[in-house]
Amino acid sequence: MALSTPQLHAVDPVVIRYWEKWAGFEADAMREIVDDFNSSQSRIFVEYSSVSQIDRRLTLAIAGGVPPDVAGIWAYNIPVYSENNALTPLTSMAEKAGIREDDYLPIIWKLCSHRNQLWALPSTPGNTALIYNKKLFREAGLDPERPPRTIAELEEFNEKIFKRSANGRIERIGHLAEEPGWWNGLWGSWFGGALIKGDSELTATSQENLEAYRWVQSYPERFGAEDLLGMRDGFGNFASPQNAFFTGRVAMIMQGVWIYNYIQNYAPADFEWGVAPFPTNDPEKLGDVSVVECDVLVIPHGAKHPLEAFEFITYVNSQKNMEKLCLGQRKFSPLRVCSDEFFQKHPNPHIRTFLELAKSPGAISVPRVAVWNAINADMRNAVNLIWTGKAPAEDALQAVQERQQKALTRSAARWERVEESLQKSWNSQ
Amino acid sequence: MPANRSPISFSTLLVYVALGVAAFAFLLPLAWMVSTSLKPLNETMSVPTRWIPSTIRWENYPEAIAEMRYFWRYAANSLWICLLSVIGTVTSSALAAYGFSRIEWRGRDKVFLVLLATMMIPFPVVMVPIYGFFKELGWIGTFKPLWVPAFFASAFNVFLLRQFFLGLPRDISEAARMDGCSEFGIFVRIILPLCKPALLVVALFQFLYSWNDFLGPLIYLTDQRDFTLALGLQSFQSQSGGTAWHHLMAASTLVLLPVIVLFFFTQKSFIQGIATSGSKQ
Amino acid sequence: MNPSERRNLRNGLLFISPWVIGFLTFCVYPVIKSFYLSLCDYSILSPAVFTGWQNYVELAGDEVFWTAVSNTLFFAVFAIPLGLLLSLALAVLLNANVRGRGVFRTIFFLPSLVPMVCLAVLWQWMLNGDVGLVNEALRVPLNAINSLLGSELRPPNWLSDARYAKWGLIFTMLWGVGNSVVIFLAGLQDVPVHLYESAEMDGANFPQKLWHITLPTISPVIHFNLIMGLIGSFQVFAVPYVMTGGGEGPGRSMLFLATYLYQNAFEFWNMGYACAIGFVMFVIILTLTLLANKLSERHVFYAGK
Repeated sequence: MALSTPQLHAVDPVVIRYWEKWAGFEADAMREIVDDFNSSQSRIFVEYSSVSQIDRRLTLAIAGGVPPDVAGIWAYNIPVYSENNALTPLTSMAEKAGIREDDYLPIIWKLCSHRNQLWALPSTPGNTALIYNKKLFREAGLDPERPPRTIAELEEFNEKIFKRSANGRIERIGHLAEEPGWWNGLWGSWFGGALIKGDSELTATSQENLEAYRWVQSYPERFGAEDLLGMRDGFGNFASPQNAFFTGRVAMIMQGVWIYNYIQNYAPADFEWGVAPFPTNDPEKLGDVSVVECDVLVIPHGAKHPLEAFEFITYVNSQKNMEKLCLGQRKFSPLRVCSDEFFQKHPNPHIRTFLELAKSPGAISVPRVAVWNAINADMRNAVNLIWTGKAPAEDALQAVQERQQKALTRSAARWERVEESLQKSWNSQ
Repeated sequence: MPANRSPISFSTLLVYVALGVAAFAFLLPLAWMVSTSLKPLNETMSVPTRWIPSTIRWENYPEAIAEMRYFWRYAANSLWICLLSVIGTVTSSALAAYGFSRIEWRGRDKVFLVLLATMMIPFPVVMVPIYGFFKELGWIGTFKPLWVPAFFASAFNVFLLRQFFLGLPRDISEAARMDGCSEFGIFVRIILPLCKPALLVVALFQFLYSWNDFLGPLIYLTDQRDFTLALGLQSFQSQSGGTAWHHLMAASTLVLLPVIVLFFFTQKSFIQGIATSGSKQ
Repeated sequence: MNPSERRNLRNGLLFISPWVIGFLTFCVYPVIKSFYLSLCDYSILSPAVFTGWQNYVELAGDEVFWTAVSNTLFFAVFAIPLGLLLSLALAVLLNANVRGRGVFRTIFFLPSLVPMVCLAVLWQWMLNGDVGLVNEALRVPLNAINSLLGSELRPPNWLSDARYAKWGLIFTMLWGVGNSVVIFLAGLQDVPVHLYESAEMDGANFPQKLWHITLPTISPVIHFNLIMGLIGSFQVFAVPYVMTGGGEGPGRSMLFLATYLYQNAFEFWNMGYACAIGFVMFVIILTLTLLANKLSERHVFYAGK
C-alpha cells in the first residue's frame, strides 16, 4: 500500500461483471488478460465468472434487466441477439476509440457486425481446414505432402485408403462426411453454393446444394449405410484417445484450429498430421473455402457500465494482449497485423496455414440470420436421413426447404417491422 | 370394505400381498437413490445392480457438496425464501379465510366463487406478464418475486383455512362481539389459537411448495450464487458432461432430506391436511 | 344497509384485502395483459408491436406447436386415467381392514413429497437404458420370453427413444400418486357403513359393492382428483425439462405446451408468441374443466349436501 500514489486511490473502482463460457486452459488464458487489465489501472475492476450454458443464462439475465457488463458469446449468436435488441451497439464507441475495420481480418469484422452496426469485438477466432494423417497417406502409397485439392481427388484418396477387415467390417476410411460432421449443414459451400441468399431466401434445393448432398449420399451408397453406421458406433469420444482420427480409423477430417490442443492431449506421441484447405469441387473458381467463426465479447442491452466495459474490450483487442490471449488458447490472431514473435512462440506448427485460410477470399461464415439455429438443426436432421439411407438428398433437402423457408420469411418480416425504430435507437447510442 | 363382515381371510391375504408388492415398488427408487449415492463411480454402472456397494463411500456426500460449489449458499437461500413464504402465506391466507367465513357480508359467497375460479388459471398463462411486471419493478435477479406474492394469499390456502374456520361454532364469535371485541381482536385472540393444526398444514404445504419450486427460481434468479437448492441441483446436473451419478444422487438425497425429516415430525398434520383438501363440503 | 351490515362489509373487505390485491395484481392484470401481448410481437427488450391475430395464425401453421399439443394430450390422456386408477386401487386396498395401514399410507405418500428436480434426476437414472433399475426389472421377463421364443427382445432406451420417452415420463409421474391416494382414502372412509351392510345382506359381492356403492359415493372425490389431474398434467414442465437437460427430448417427443411456451419466452425472445401459446393452453384447460363439470352433473352424486 505504501507504493501507491495518492491519485490512484482517489475513487473506488467501478466493478464490471464479465461472464465467459470457457473452462480449463482457455479460461486461464483470458484470466491472465483480466488480471493484467485490473493491475494496469485502478478505475475499473473486472470480475470474471465462468458461466455454464452461457447463452441461456445470458438471455434470462438480459430479459430480466440484470445482465453482466461484458459477455463472451459466439459470433453466430450475434444476428439473433442483435435483432431482438439484446445487445448494446458498439459502432459509435468503436469510432471514438479509433477502432477501424482495417485493424481486423475482413471476415472477422463481418462476423462482428450485423445490420449495419458493430455488435462485438473478437476475443479468439477459429476456422476449419482439412486435417489429414500423414502416416496413413504413406501406407496407402500417397505422397504425405500432397493432400487432395478437389472433391474428385478426395474421393480418389478415399478409395485408396479404404480398407475392410477380414470379417467384412470397415476398418479404415479416407474420409467420412459425418466425422465429425459439425458443419454438415454447410457442405454446399464446397460446391459453390450457399444455403441462404440475401437474408430471406433459402436455397437448400439449389443445384450446388443438391450436388453437395448427393456427394454425401454417395457414401452410404458406396460403402453401405449399415457398415458405416456400425463403424461409427465403434468410435470413441471426441475428446479422448479413442477419437476416430487419432486411432487412425479416419484419415482425413474437416476440423478446426483447436484440433492442435486435442492432438496434444489425446493423440499418440508419433502422430503426424498435415493441414490444407478442404477440397472443393472447383478450386480455380472457388478458391480456398474455410468456415470461420469467432468467440466474441459483447455488451448486453441494459449493462450498467457500458463505457467501462468497452474500455476492457478495447484492452483485450490491443495487439499485445490479443496475441497473448490467442497464443494462450493456441489460436491465430484476428488482427490484420501480427508480430513475428507470435509465430515463433506458437506451438501449433500449422498456425500459418489456418491464418491464410481465414484471410482467403473464399472464407465463409455460418449464415448470419436470426433463425440459423433452427435451420441448422433441420439440416442436420436431413443429413442424418441421407446418411442412414432413409431418404435421398433431393427429398431431404426439399423438406428442409419448405419448412425453413417459412421460418426465414417470418424472421425477415419481423425484422422489417421493427427495423426502423431499432435503427433509430441504435444510432442514437 | 369394512372388515367386521369381511369374507374369507384369503382375500385379506391377497390384499396384504398386493399392498406389499406396491409398497416395495414405491420404496425401491428411494432405496436405489441412496444406494447409488454411496457407491464408487464405477459401480454405479454395474449391471446387474449391486445394492450394497463394495465400499460405502460416505465421501460422495462431501465431494458432491464441494463440486456443487455453492451448496450451503443454495441451502441458505432456499431456507430463507421458504421461511418468508411461509410467514406470508399463513398470515395472509388466515386473514382472507377469516374474512370469507367468520363475517357475514353482502356478496361474500359470490366473491368466494371467483376465488375458486382463479385456481384454474395455470401459471404458464400468466408467467410472461408477471415476469414483465417484476422486471419493471427491478426485482428480477432478487429473491422478491419468490416470496412477496405469498403475502397476498393463495386461493388454495384460503380455501383450506376457510373450511376449517367454518367448522368452528358461530357463538364464540358472537359472544366476543357482544363483549365489544373488535373483529381483528376476535381473529387474533379467539379464532387463531383454535386453528393451530390447520395453520400448521398451510405452513407445511407452503414450505414444501417453496422448497420444491423450480420454475420460479429458473426465471427470476440470474446470478449463480443466488440459486436455490432445486435450481442448483439442476445446474449441477448439466455441468457434469459425463454425469457423475453417485455425486448427483448424493446431492439429490441431501435436497430431499429436509423434506423427509419435516414430514416425519408432522405426519398426522400433513395427511389430515391433504385429506380435508380433497373433500369439498 | 343498516350500520351493522355496513360494518361487516367493511371488515369483511378489509380482511380479504390481501387476497384482493393479489387477485388484481397476479390474476386479473396478467390475464388481460397476456391476451393483449398475445396479439403483439414482444421481445421484452423493445416495446410491444401490435400485430393482431398474427401469432395465432402462425401457431396454426407451426409444426412444432402441434407436436407440443399432441405430446401434451398424449401425456394427459394416459397419465390422468392411469393415475386415478392406481391411486383408487391403492386406496381401496388400504381401506380394507389391514393392519399397519398408517405405514403403508406413509410409504405411498412419501414419493409425492419428493422435490420435482430430485424426482426428475432420480428417474432419469432409473430409466437409463443400460444400468437403470426399470430396465433391469424388465429384463427378467424379457429374457424369459427370449429363451422361450428365441426372440431378441430388449428393454428400450427410454429417454433416448422418441417412442418411449413419454412413457418414461408417465411412469415417473405415477410414482407420485400418493397425494391422490390419501384423498381417496379419506373419501372412502366417509362412505356410510350401513350402505355396505345392507348390500351384503342382499348378497352383493365385492365388485358389485364397488360399482354400485363405493364409486357413486366417492364420485365427488373422483371429480376433484380428475380436475386436479387435468390442470396439473396440462402444465407439466419441470420434470421433463430437467430429465432432458433443458431440451426437447429425442425427436421433440418431450416437448410439451409449457416447455414450448418457456422456450419461446425465454430462449427465442418471442414473448408475444409465448402468450398466445399460454392463452391456447388456458382455453384448452378451461374447456376440459367445464366438460368435466358437465359430466359430473350426471355422474357425480353429492350425498345430501
